[in-house]
Amino acid sequence: MKVFVIDIGICNGCYACQIACKDEHVGNDWSPIAKPQPDTGQFWMKLNEYIRGTVPKVKMHYIPLLCQHCDKAPCIPACPVKGAIYKRDDGLVIIDPEKCTGCKACVDACPYGVIYFNDSLNIAQKCTGCAHLLDGGEWKVPRCADACPTEAIKFGEEAEFKGMIARAEVLKPESKTKPRVYYLNIPKKFIAGTVYDPIEKEVVIGAKCTLTGSKAGKMKTETTDAFGDFWFEGLADGTYNLTIDAKGFKAKSFNKLNTEKDINLGDIPLDKAKKK
Amino acid sequence: MSAVKGKKVDVKPDKTVIKALALGGLLGGGGECVVDVKDGKAVRIRPFHYDWKYDKKKFNAWKMKRNGKTLEPLMKALPGTFSLAYKKRTFSPNRIKYPLIRVDWDPNGERNPQNRGKSKYRRISWDEATTIIANEIKRVHKKYGPCSILVQGDGHGECKTIHTPHGHQGRLLDMMGGFTQQVRNPDSWEGWYWGSKHVWGQGFQGMMSPAANLIKDITENAEMVLFWGGDPETTPWGFTGQYATRICYFWTQAGIKQVYICPELNYGAAVHADKWIPVLPNTDAALQLAIIYTWVKEGTWDKEYVKTHVVGMDYVKNYVLGKDDGIPKTPEWASKKCGVPEWTIKALAREFAKKVTSIAHYFGGSFIRGPFSHEPGRLECVLLGMQGLGGPGVHQCQITYFGMPRAEGLKSIRYFNPALTERLRIPCRTTIDAWGKQLIPKTLIQDAIIKPPLTFFGSGGQECQTEEQFEKYTYPIEKEKGGTLVHMIWTDTPCRITCWNHGNWTIDAFQHPSIECVVAQHPWLENECVYSDIILPANTTLEVEDIVTNSRQGPHFQSVCIQEQAIQPIGESRSDYEIVLAIAEKLGYGKKFSEGKTTRDLQKDVFDTMELGDMTTWKELLEKKYFVYPVAKDWESDPPGFRKFYEDPKKNPLQTPSGKLEFYSERLAKNFPDDKERPPYPQWIEKSETHDERLSSERAAMFPLLCMSNHGRWRVHAQGDDITWTRETVTCKVLGADGYRYEPVWINPKDAAKRGINDGDIVKVFNERGVVLCGARVWERMSPGVVYVDHGARHDPIIDNVDRGGAINTIAPNGITSKNACGQATSSYLVDVQKVTEKDYQEWREKDPESYDAAFKREYDQASGLRFNAWVEGGME
Repeated sequence: MKVFVIDIGICNGCYACQIACKDEHVGNDWSPIAKPQPDTGQFWMKLNEYIRGTVPKVKMHYIPLLCQHCDKAPCIPACPVKGAIYKRDDGLVIIDPEKCTGCKACVDACPYGVIYFNDSLNIAQKCTGCAHLLDGGEWKVPRCADACPTEAIKFGEEAEFKGMIARAEVLKPESKTKPRVYYLNIPKKFIAGTVYDPIEKEVVIGAKCTLTGSKAGKMKTETTDAFGDFWFEGLADGTYNLTIDAKGFKAKSFNKLNTEKDINLGDIPLDKAKKK
Repeated sequence: MSAVKGKKVDVKPDKTVIKALALGGLLGGGGECVVDVKDGKAVRIRPFHYDWKYDKKKFNAWKMKRNGKTLEPLMKALPGTFSLAYKKRTFSPNRIKYPLIRVDWDPNGERNPQNRGKSKYRRISWDEATTIIANEIKRVHKKYGPCSILVQGDGHGECKTIHTPHGHQGRLLDMMGGFTQQVRNPDSWEGWYWGSKHVWGQGFQGMMSPAANLIKDITENAEMVLFWGGDPETTPWGFTGQYATRICYFWTQAGIKQVYICPELNYGAAVHADKWIPVLPNTDAALQLAIIYTWVKEGTWDKEYVKTHVVGMDYVKNYVLGKDDGIPKTPEWASKKCGVPEWTIKALAREFAKKVTSIAHYFGGSFIRGPFSHEPGRLECVLLGMQGLGGPGVHQCQITYFGMPRAEGLKSIRYFNPALTERLRIPCRTTIDAWGKQLIPKTLIQDAIIKPPLTFFGSGGQECQTEEQFEKYTYPIEKEKGGTLVHMIWTDTPCRITCWNHGNWTIDAFQHPSIECVVAQHPWLENECVYSDIILPANTTLEVEDIVTNSRQGPHFQSVCIQEQAIQPIGESRSDYEIVLAIAEKLGYGKKFSEGKTTRDLQKDVFDTMELGDMTTWKELLEKKYFVYPVAKDWESDPPGFRKFYEDPKKNPLQTPSGKLEFYSERLAKNFPDDKERPPYPQWIEKSETHDERLSSERAAMFPLLCMSNHGRWRVHAQGDDITWTRETVTCKVLGADGYRYEPVWINPKDAAKRGINDGDIVKVFNERGVVLCGARVWERMSPGVVYVDHGARHDPIIDNVDRGGAINTIAPNGITSKNACGQATSSYLVDVQKVTEKDYQEWREKDPESYDAAFKREYDQASGLRFNAWVEGGME
């Protein structure tokens, strides 16, 4: 059974996957696997962009989104035409363009929003895993994986990727659809800042930053680097308290930092401690 | 589980042809792809795999190691994304399908130069078109002399050799007594070309050279790499592909810190930066001076090295300490200029001094293309020189453009491949050399046409030697030497409006009454094409047979490929070579021009001059269609960068008069004693007679934002603005409320809020030089006070000086780099951005209702932009 494993940590956001998918499917008819994809507006492989933080603590990541080829694909039972949406032995889920009647039930049933409706052909369409190519025997991976310059998109036998899958997550696990697309290294939230001494106009190196969660979570500590920067990464959404301690300075605290959005605390001045 | 069996789709192509689909052009490939063809149709374009027909063991793949990790090449090429979408360029609805003539241009009557850009075109036959052009050439030759024809035949383009997209007309006109050459300035290297050369010698267009094994040495030794201005995730796409991204990820894995210093969170910074230091555009010199100040104050520079390798350190020292002008170049001073907090400047200076540091580029945005760019260019050499340039891990590196392992038997890694025959090289000389009888720097074309005569120092030719910058030229040259003003233009490079300085003035030049005839040849109806009198349809690489040397660095391996024809030419289009040949035939120069050689003969010439016979056979190349150069067995022994100079500067001098790094240039002092814009040693230039584009300017009261332009993600300069698939990305275009896809302008949320601008709004970017409509991208990828628009979008005039296409260079300064340096200064200049209002549209309409109405009636396609039919009477289905 095939799987996709997509490493967000090395996705450079080049869109080669999205464009290669269009190159394969726009203007080409691969019936009975797929009819042509419309030139614009539909993305069987869609790259989504995420910008996090504020200047100058800004990070980006990209998530390639495609049909999740679920083992419990909600689109299959939703379809009123028997066999119009089917799962192949290799795990890929296909909408048969000949059998599709254009009722759109699958479009509504999909929790991932990856089924598109082609108005001119009156059929639902989506990623096929380039099954037409794989069946030919010469292709081992779909177009998106072949075009990916960083090998962030991997495709192959589930057994081959066992180790990676153990570390991976799936999108919307609450949907319980058992996706066959696994993601590695999707960033969580960060709290970051630059600590400096406003009198000397110098960054403060080696300041101890302590982060505690509002729910008795684990305490995290970071030390400011040579730029006076600290980064708490991989934070779950929640409320945190931060304390910054540096020798010779008064401690500084930030309470109730909510990581619904990533937080850049900016350049943080520390007051000198009173001489003892 | 229901299996549907026995329904295999026939996906086997009839043939698979190799095409280098990077867009650098100039006798070199990159972005290697293959095109699967079935039933005469291009079915798919995908990355080329080196081991397709060879055993990969033959390639002797290299390895680089650091901290227990290993970097290796892949067996596939990594073309930039637009290369994979190239079908959309070949089949663009904007392709020119047949020869056209401007409806109100009559070579035997009224020529109406003032209507260029306004009037439409009608179809004519090839025979008519070539006859008219041949007659015009004969006419102006007789009336004014050969130099009355200006050849614009330079620049980037598709990767072809025989059918290379530029300069064939120069070769023909040279046979006929000469021509006036538009000399292409090194537009992406300006600061190094006009600055760094004076410090470390000629270099490669001013960049550090030799540049062997830089990637290996940085990988093994550097602790920090500063990406200063350039973007390894965009610009390499146009030339070689995406290998830089893998190196950056590897460096992260190996623990090499990557710091990005640039106003925008560029695509490299977005995914690779350990630290982003936003600097205001073109204020890098202030930041650099403050770093030097910190080192001088703290004694953290390599004094021993400087003693033996540098001349002029005292000038720099005195200057930063304020002994010249009373202003110490302290971090506090610099912070006010460059917007970087004082404490961050000091921290950067100390990290730079403490850690083994290289500076990486892949060309530059505002760092190297702004006013006075030779100053940051030179200061970069000073910084590296003060830290032992050439030592382990201390280099300047154009990442993957240079510095990759050497291939066995490959004669040249240069981007225009001088190893080829004279016959094939001549067209490309127009891009790299100043070889025309009469010369005009590309930056001065409009000055030459509108207000001649001109004098200037240095032609700006890319391969010119440093000394040439001291040579004085005039336009026109003396009459007895054939000097004359230009009266005809023949361009295969119709992109000046959107890629060069002050494009609105380019338009005025093209409409000037002294210009009697403009001929344009190009695949797409865009930019200067619609300011021409005759337009000839050129075709794209998919439509021709050729041979390409993928000899540039950057792909995993270098190779040579026979590029077969993939599809039949679109409409009546011909290759650029075939177009000029047709005109040559009308002039009686056909035989001389073709030398009677077939495509096969010319392919064989390439095989021979590349001495490929030592590596493979002609038969095998024809059979396999490609050859991959193995990595040289002894590649690791090539000394990295300036290592030999580092080790023994006396035995291995640089190409400067003293043989050392010249922080102070005696030559500049002697030749330009009164030049305050490029003094003998690098300085901070606030403003001058040439440029007044800083936030301290009085103009900033009206235009309070600095506009920068980098190399685009989705275009190579002007190439690729009509690809429907890339235009859907959030960074390529912004779909306006009126259904038009606008060029994005990046703006920080704070600046946008002050102006009531929301993401997606149609806005005007403007200054005294004009107005450009854009679509707002309001986000944290842009630092406050700065806005960012890529150059090269397709010009779409509404009325004079108001552009809807997003061609930002229409309002860039006309002034050159500095008064004695004729580079372009098209990044970092003052503008404001405001929402476009109904009142604006009304005012524009009142000024010129005819043009305004025509503009909004032009046939437009949201997916691909303006269409061929917009400008052609009767159009085409």
